[in-house]
Amino acid sequence: MNQTLTIGQAPAFVDDAAGAVPVRASGLRVDFKGQPGVLAGLDWTLAPGQVVGLLGRNGAGKTTLLETLLGLREPQGGEVRLFGQPALMPDDALRARLGYVPQHSALFEDFEAGDLLRYFRSFYPRWNDTKVDGLMSRWDIPRERRVGQLSQGQQQRLSIIRALAHEPDLLLLDEPVASLDPAGRRDFLRELVDQVLDRGTTVLFSTHILSDLERVAFNIAFLSRGRIALHASQDALLDEIRLLSGPIGRLQAAVDTHGGQVLSRRDLGEQPRWLVRFASGRLPESDAALRCEALNLEDLFLEMTQ
Amino acid sequence: MDTDLIFSINTGSPEPIYRQLVEQLRRRVASGQLVAGQEIPSVREVAQALAVNPMTVSKAFGLMEAEGLVERRRGLPMVVAAQHQKAMRTRGRVELLRPALEKAAAEARQLELPPEQVLSLFKALLEDKGETR
Repeated sequence: MNQTLTIGQAPAFVDDAAGAVPVRASGLRVDFKGQPGVLAGLDWTLAPGQVVGLLGRNGAGKTTLLETLLGLREPQGGEVRLFGQPALMPDDALRARLGYVPQHSALFEDFEAGDLLRYFRSFYPRWNDTKVDGLMSRWDIPRERRVGQLSQGQQQRLSIIRALAHEPDLLLLDEPVASLDPAGRRDFLRELVDQVLDRGTTVLFSTHILSDLERVAFNIAFLSRGRIALHASQDALLDEIRLLSGPIGRLQAAVDTHGGQVLSRRDLGEQPRWLVRFASGRLPESDAALRCEALNLEDLFLEMTQ
Repeated sequence: MDTDLIFSINTGSPEPIYRQLVEQLRRRVASGQLVAGQEIPSVREVAQALAVNPMTVSKAFGLMEAEGLVERRRGLPMVVAAQHQKAMRTRGRVELLRPALEKAAAEARQLELPPEQVLSLFKALLEDKGETR
């Protein structure tokens, strides 16, 4: 698939001029030495208030994409605009609207946790002390302890607090929960839900923990071969996409009669398998020769990225 | 009413979360566990309790309303719709199982299982545990 396939709740067209579009990437190209096309002409738009889960196999370039979107990495080609402004030259006002939780929190290890937050506080015009205090005690982070002496999980939570404290309009999270236990993850997800409810924050996060993504992400995007291969609402993915298996003649007939769009096909072996989207909502029935299976997000991900 | 008692979700299911929510409410209304006038938690409460995207909950609530399960009242919590005075009769309730059983029956036929064996499995499941989460 070379083009982005958008399904269901596709990002609505929003005029860029007013700076309403949180993220608009066009023609992004990033090459690494010996690895060209990590991002290969990637086009993508995030609409305000969307909560998007970014999926891709290991090494697909998710971190590279997030860094490039934030303007932390200069692409060899293309451009990113955040709220209408070039991401590479953010002014203070734009910076104040962005929140980022990197995969490996790079916090100053010699600072005490409390001092670190006070330090960051000085950069932002807005800072929600109540939220910070609440999260610090709820998430059990001792203010007097040096950051380097906090556990991995505590550092990650501190990094999340730091990213939420100034109430950003756009929040990017790169594997934010990797070091959190299930209870910590759930609590973090609730915090995200609160952000979305209270502020309509636009959120983009990558994670390998699909159950978290299923809960919180309304939209899912697949990064594959340097492009966004698919951006769709989860509901549409589960409702409209089916894995068909059976003789090729039967597969073709099912696709034709139900107006299906074939997303991927594997015709090798005894049992060809096609991944098909039925946008009409009319689905073929399974019978002795044809199997029509609904997939959960994990299986869908595996089928899409094979 | 405690949100956790009305709704729960399964992740990793091919059934989207919004449909899980609608079907749970449908079953609670059909069984009479929820009756006319009873308040339903708000989108906010459900989203927070389950840590689920509010748009997903909102979509489920819209469908519940369209189906006549609940009624929206201006500025007040939604309630179970007036027509649901008491539990549906058993005949109606058992019909709610039809889609799941049809699917199971189709799979049993594909597996070429003898009906007695399938029925005894179903019976064992029924007796083992009242309700799956």
